[in-house]
Amino acid sequence: MPEWTGVLDLVMENRQGRSVAKSVYFQGAFKVMRPVYFNKNSYPCYYLLNPGGGYLDGDRYQMKVTLGERAMLTLTTQSATKVYRTPTEQVYQETVIRMKKDSYLEYLPDALIAYKDASCYQKNSIYMEKGATLLYAEILTPGWSPEGEKFSYDMLRLKTEIYMEGQLVVFDHIKLHPASQNMNELGFMEGYTHLGSLIVVGEKTNNALLDRLYETLQQEAGEFAFGLSKLAVPGFTIRILANYTQVVERIISVCHHVISEEWDQMKPSFLRKY
Amino acid sequence: MGIVMTNHALSLLQLCDSSFPIGSFSQSFGLETYIQKDKVTDANTFSEWLHVYVHEQLAYADGLAVRLSYDALDNDDLDKVWELDRILTVQNLARESRDGTQRMGDRMLNIAEAIYKIPVLTTYAQKIRDKQAFGHPAIVFTMIGHHLQVEKNTTVLYYLYSTVVSLVQNAVRAIPLGQTAGQKIIYTFQQQLQQTTDKIMELDEEEFGVVSPGLELSQMQHERVGIRIFSS
Repeated sequence: MPEWTGVLDLVMENRQGRSVAKSVYFQGAFKVMRPVYFNKNSYPCYYLLNPGGGYLDGDRYQMKVTLGERAMLTLTTQSATKVYRTPTEQVYQETVIRMKKDSYLEYLPDALIAYKDASCYQKNSIYMEKGATLLYAEILTPGWSPEGEKFSYDMLRLKTEIYMEGQLVVFDHIKLHPASQNMNELGFMEGYTHLGSLIVVGEKTNNALLDRLYETLQQEAGEFAFGLSKLAVPGFTIRILANYTQVVERIISVCHHVISEEWDQMKPSFLRKY
Repeated sequence: MGIVMTNHALSLLQLCDSSFPIGSFSQSFGLETYIQKDKVTDANTFSEWLHVYVHEQLAYADGLAVRLSYDALDNDDLDKVWELDRILTVQNLARESRDGTQRMGDRMLNIAEAIYKIPVLTTYAQKIRDKQAFGHPAIVFTMIGHHLQVEKNTTVLYYLYSTVVSLVQNAVRAIPLGQTAGQKIIYTFQQQLQQTTDKIMELDEEEFGVVSPGLELSQMQHERVGIRIFSS
């Protein structure tokens, strides 16, 4: 097993109502910045950063995040994750998230940008206990290419497995491989270039929330298509097709606002990027 | 055994008949969304949709699951079968398609239990009643194919065929197309079914459940299309 290019291990706990890091460990090309407590929130936002500026051939990253009982966390990136040409070996990123009873995690990273001839495999395994709430977003963006091709990357593979009390409840496998798929055709990207997903698992999910999200997105301006559907457990997925990262970001942010208002009667913090 | 030499493949063919009452006539798996949006309007555009649906979504999920569960039954590895039942269900992120498939699986299982005495079918039915399994037609179909000793690749091929036959019947009613046009599509699709089967036989298990974004979106959007004759 080759070594990791970067490792991050973050453990959060709820200490008398305030969520704090019990331990933070990082090594190699993976870091987190000091936590920010927005709007006197009782829980912090951690920003992930990749000091190397991007993922290179054969890079391997591992991230572990653990939330203790009732611990809360917002996790995002400082900027987009860029994957450059991988002539010999794909980039691999493994994320393992463990969420104890009644914990809350918003994992809302910036876009993953795949440049010409880039190949990337991202595997997410999320283990939840009863009462835990997860908001997980993902944006896949094709990088600029000198020839102006829309899809110049080699392959983007993203596998997400979510377990509730040890049982698999969500399995999502996105594989974009322009050489073998007719990207623009019916059934695939259908003329769009960017793919966004928001997966939410939470016991408070109900039809009223889904209706409100649907109505809100129906009224959003911009060129995009979306689908919204309930999971096999309380929760839902929103899938978005668009042509700009900003459009997908805006839609995810709008949904984030609606969910936060419905569930917590509060506005989510604007995730400032420096 | 009462009947010594039933043609085993013929028995499996019974399940492929579009009149086999498992409710496939009410599932369009997102096709209706494309029809409503005027993206599928005739035999050609329907064939395009069918091509993607079969070569991609069906191959990576149901098709691969037929092969894998056949192997698991061969190896008496029932845990693997239940694992496939679960992953097949939870990878389907569009609720209507997921629920509709589950209902089809349930009905297929009920009829199969009335026809056959296959212990693993009884176990499957019990697990579903105990809410330890969901029920999926691909798994039930494989259990029967395996029991009838129909070869693995033939079981895969027949499963794909059964899906295509009912989807074409649905397209004939919904677009609408002429009955002859429908039969022509089924006939010309034979070669593609063989190709898809070959692809499934070669697929790495790691490839399971690859999403076709446009198809999935249409299946999610179906929940809110105006006029519906299908429940997915």
